[in-house]
Amino acid sequence: MTHETEIIRRVLEGDIESFRLLLARYEKPVVRMIRNITYDKESCEDLAQDVFLTAYEKLASFDRARSSFSTWLFTIARNKSLNALKKKKPLSISEPPEKSNPHNPSDDMAEREFYDRLDKTLQTLPSRQRRAFILAEFEKLSYAEIAQIEGTRLGTIKSRINRAKMKLRTALKEFAGDIV
Amino acid sequence: MKTEEIYNAWKEQKSQIDVDKGFSDKVMSRINQYERQKRKPVFDGHRLIELISTRPLGKAAVVAAGAVIGFVRIAYVIYAFLGC
Repeated sequence: MTHETEIIRRVLEGDIESFRLLLARYEKPVVRMIRNITYDKESCEDLAQDVFLTAYEKLASFDRARSSFSTWLFTIARNKSLNALKKKKPLSISEPPEKSNPHNPSDDMAEREFYDRLDKTLQTLPSRQRRAFILAEFEKLSYAEIAQIEGTRLGTIKSRINRAKMKLRTALKEFAGDIV
Repeated sequence: MKTEEIYNAWKEQKSQIDVDKGFSDKVMSRINQYERQKRKPVFDGHRLIELISTRPLGKAAVVAAGAVIGFVRIAYVIYAFLGC
């Protein structure tokens, strides 16, 4: 596996095709992050294309002494997602399903309902908590990396993630009627 | 299935994603387009001539600009003679 620094050096020297290696490595995480932040399955790939194009255009300004390439790239993706969210109308969050349904989590339908409930709770989280949770739990980034992307302190990130986890778990337990 | 298992299964499901197979090609195509545009000279003489010759308004603008410049020059010559 070619080291990222080497790939970046080659791209900056004019070997544009080497950028494909970075694309192959990061296309999924970037698309997934944008999709989970914007909740827009239709345009998340278009936005991800913009992210990679911006990364290419600004590659010369990437300073590996300041951050890793992934942190730098995720910061671009985060900023683009936030801009896209600002342009979009607020998310319309429908009411969660009624609690009166008899839940049998082993059933696929019931499982789907639990997922929907978690999705809706995730959408209703304050955006900073949501972003921190997404980066930690779906992208498996370290708290330090998330703090760098969000431009805040490590302790703040830990607290945001813990609050998000707590809210999600509470919502799930409430929905399940405290089956645990 | 307990809530913790559901929670973990949900996280797993959210982590999975399928990206369009042509995604890389689309990005590379945009990058190549960007590079082509970057290499294009700021002033393209041929393009300018083509623009002027194919548009009546462009031709009229060139003729009008020529007339104005000619008039200014004549006026300047007359002023120079009369000024002395």
